Amino acid sequence: MMERLARRLRPARPGAAALAVAGTPEDTLEAFDVTVHFEGLAAVDGVSISMRNGEVFGLIGPNGAGKTTLVNVLTGFQRPTRGRVVLGGEDVTGLSAHELGRRGLARTFQAVRLFRDMPVIENLEAAAVGTGLGRREAARRASRILAWMRFAHRADDWADTLPYGEERRVGIGRALAMAPRFVLLDEPAAGLSDAECDELMGLIAEIPHVFGCGVLLIEHNMRVIMGACHRIHVIESGRTVAEGSPEEIQVNPDVLRAYLGTRSGDARG
Amino acid sequence: MTGLVQNAIDALALGSLYALTALGIGLIFGVMRLINFAHGDLIMIGGYALIVPSSAAAAVAFIGAWPAPAMVAAIVFIVMLFALACERLAFRPLRRANPSVLLITSFALSFFLEHLVVMIYGGRVKAVSIWPELLEALPISGVRIPYLQIVTIGVTIGLLVLLVLFLKRTPMGIQMRAASEDFSTARLLGVRGNRVIAVAFAISGLLAAVVSLLYVSQVGALTYSMGIPLVLFAFVATVVGGMGSLTGAVLGGFVVGIASVTLQVALPVAMRPDRDVFVYGLILLILLMRPSGLVKVKSIEEKV
Amino acid sequence: MAGPDTEGGPAGLVWRLPVVGLRAFWTPIVLSLGVLVIVLAVWASGDTVLALAVTAALIRAVMVIGLYIFIGNSGVLAFGHATFMMVGAYGVAWLTLRPFNKSFALQLPEFLAAHQYPLLPSAIAAALLAAIVAFVVGIPIMRLSGIAAAIATLAVLGMFKTFYSNWSEWTLGAATMPGIPIYVDMWIALAWVVVALFVAYIYQRSKYGLALRASREDEFAARAAGINIPRQRLIAFVLSAFFMGIGGVLEAHYLGTIAVKNFWLTITFILLAMLIVGGQRSLSGAIVGVVVISTLIEILNSLEAGMNVGVAVLSVPIGAQELTIAGLMIIILVFRPDGIMGGREVPWPFGKAGRIVRDPGAVESEHDPLRRGLAQRDSAP
Ligand SMILES: Nc1ncnc2c1ncn2[C@@H]1O[C@H](COP(=O)(O)OP(=O)(O)OP(=O)(O)O)[C@@H](O)[C@H]1O
Ligand SMILES: [Mg+2]
Repeated sequence: MMERLARRLRPARPGAAALAVAGTPEDTLEAFDVTVHFEGLAAVDGVSISMRNGEVFGLIGPNGAGKTTLVNVLTGFQRPTRGRVVLGGEDVTGLSAHELGRRGLARTFQAVRLFRDMPVIENLEAAAVGTGLGRREAARRASRILAWMRFAHRADDWADTLPYGEERRVGIGRALAMAPRFVLLDEPAAGLSDAECDELMGLIAEIPHVFGCGVLLIEHNMRVIMGACHRIHVIESGRTVAEGSPEEIQVNPDVLRAYLGTRSGDARG
Repeated sequence: MTGLVQNAIDALALGSLYALTALGIGLIFGVMRLINFAHGDLIMIGGYALIVPSSAAAAVAFIGAWPAPAMVAAIVFIVMLFALACERLAFRPLRRANPSVLLITSFALSFFLEHLVVMIYGGRVKAVSIWPELLEALPISGVRIPYLQIVTIGVTIGLLVLLVLFLKRTPMGIQMRAASEDFSTARLLGVRGNRVIAVAFAISGLLAAVVSLLYVSQVGALTYSMGIPLVLFAFVATVVGGMGSLTGAVLGGFVVGIASVTLQVALPVAMRPDRDVFVYGLILLILLMRPSGLVKVKSIEEKV
Repeated sequence: MAGPDTEGGPAGLVWRLPVVGLRAFWTPIVLSLGVLVIVLAVWASGDTVLALAVTAALIRAVMVIGLYIFIGNSGVLAFGHATFMMVGAYGVAWLTLRPFNKSFALQLPEFLAAHQYPLLPSAIAAALLAAIVAFVVGIPIMRLSGIAAAIATLAVLGMFKTFYSNWSEWTLGAATMPGIPIYVDMWIALAWVVVALFVAYIYQRSKYGLALRASREDEFAARAAGINIPRQRLIAFVLSAFFMGIGGVLEAHYLGTIAVKNFWLTITFILLAMLIVGGQRSLSGAIVGVVVISTLIEILNSLEAGMNVGVAVLSVPIGAQELTIAGLMIIILVFRPDGIMGGREVPWPFGKAGRIVRDPGAVESEHDPLRRGLAQRDSAP
């Protein structure tokens, strides 16, 4: 009787995992001419990007360049003043954040925003459940992801007891638990040590083929960016400065000016 | 025509009471994200301060028998003192708590104050009469407008003007507005949190005292739960007006007051006892259409 | 990919199932047993006055569990839940009063006026009515931000209280409605507590409960994770209203009379105090809070009535009861905002064995992209 109830609690529904659509190789996430005004200030100004499934797409720029704002637009947290967001050929501009989450856009937050009073594993499970999975599949996916991140030993720890670097890792795991078509990482390496950065870089580079999705990566740490990205898009003061391969970006004079013009170095951390 | 004038004055007078109450609540919400349930009990305490503390059935006027200026000053002083004590003892230790914890604390505080009064004064209704002459009607034929309503509206306008001047012109007022915009940043910029919050509580105490005097002279009776209807409508007014906006609070107060009086007049006689059902229903309807209220406030929304 | 979890085989599985069941429902089982022990002790003592007080406390427990389902999981306060008690209580009165009693003062439609319905179906029907009311009013309210929603629930209570106290044909207005069959004793109340505990726990562990708790922790992150917050809140609100409705039903069948004025802020305050003092974020907290506050109320009641201490009669004035509870609540909020239980459930005492929700050894889904990917990774050099 108890067992039956226990099973009812987590019904076996093979195939429910398919609800969270994994991207096809042709899948794309595009933004056309996205512009966001905050009381006169143009935080993002006519930016267009296009990224494909399978690639790690870097988005860089100095502080306040509008990177987070662009991600907010892409994930439905900010309505653009102008412009469109297109996911897999379908116009999704103005859809709510949770709707976009269900359609396969996952993100992390600069401020991490874990579900603090929940165990690590439930952080991931909640995200899996949010995309329509049953409790049981969610649990299975969550423990797989933790194992992949070599974090299974922390599964039952409360999220608010984690050190900062590990918090960020759980944030990424949570986004991946949605089995996203595209995952948008907002400064995942901020505040990490060099060793942690290298490990993270390895993980990020693996994400596209392990999860069959595309990755958008915002980072200030140039080592991580150059090591993980296939293509890089540079913005400054809300405008596109350049786009190209890491090698091209490294030698692009406009990019150097954008960085040198606003700060003394190229990278923080 | 005369009926219309009379109803309009009724609506404005009732709206004034709600607006002043909502304003007292809104000020505190602005500086510390606290919806103060106990505000209604400050109003109630202002009323009980008029009489001699005793659980006897008949109330004996105490401060209520003093000449008007002394009475007003004493009541304002006492209510302010209670407001500041609440801040110091219950809310200051919770400065960092989230708004839900603050709200539930103020709910508990409200029960605490009410039953403190029950213990001292007993639970029965007590009759008091201050300024009976204000209940007489203006000498205008055709309409019945008590002086009190004119006084209520006048006092409200006066207080609103003073408050606007305070918020716009004085350093403390400017700090208070800055703190409402963004408390942590304001603090970084040198706004002194404790002072600003204490002043906000003092002003809300002042507003509660004024409402107390106006309300008691109108109803002529005291009960320990007399603040509740006022504070409920004022809460609703702040939500309808848009939480965090002082303009919204005043606006919401008048909307609720005007809606009450209009419904009172417009509903068929058989349905008049149900007036509040419609007032509350109307409010839910407004919220359905404008979930963030009439005046939308940016600073309430957290940044992603 | 073989991990430690795949060991054991079918025999191991069979052995594990009872443990899994016990572990899975540890919280409601322990809490039910705890309450059962109290009830048995009182029953064995034969003290009928105490039994009445315990019954009242158990009815409150059903209500507090109802309140917890919404407040605990969503983190949104609600001050309007007395509405659903009232709807449930009057609903069950319409169904279960004898037609003879109804004919005196009520003007009910034929299907109610002429019949007296069986008790249990009536109880459930009345609670469902409360749930429906919650669904309708919840649609606008659940879209509001947390604090605004809490206040809007007050507006709902104000609305229904005014309506019921003027709806004389159905409710006798402000007057007390007598003659409701009295059948609720300690055991029936206990049964409902157990039902409420299990339902609340199953909900909390379900995907809906998980999604709602995530939104309680961080609204932005929850939305990013695909969680439709208003919808999840509404589900909890309706379920919560159902048990508040049951609470009202039990109260009606316990006292035999109901009056609109009893479904107002005092009961709201008592129930909230119980939840907060115990700890609003766990089911265990809800129960602990009921026990603590009910005990306190009993002590204060006997003090208000006057207690003989040798020659003198010790007594406290009217109002002291609420004053004490409010004071305790403020102290708890200041010094331990997560309540006595600190937001945790009663812990499983037997180590990590048999954790319920993870069993990677079970059937694998071909569609899980992660599995596909991991397989690729494993075969890669
Ligand atoms: N909600 C908002 N309201 C007003 N201004 C905003 C808001 N969000 C962002 N801004 C402004 O828009 C600009 C872009 O901010 P954004 O956070 O997108 O930059 P960023 O590139 O992510 O910077 P960082 O590297 O520091 O994270 C900044 O000037 C910021 O102050
Ligand atoms: Mg940013």
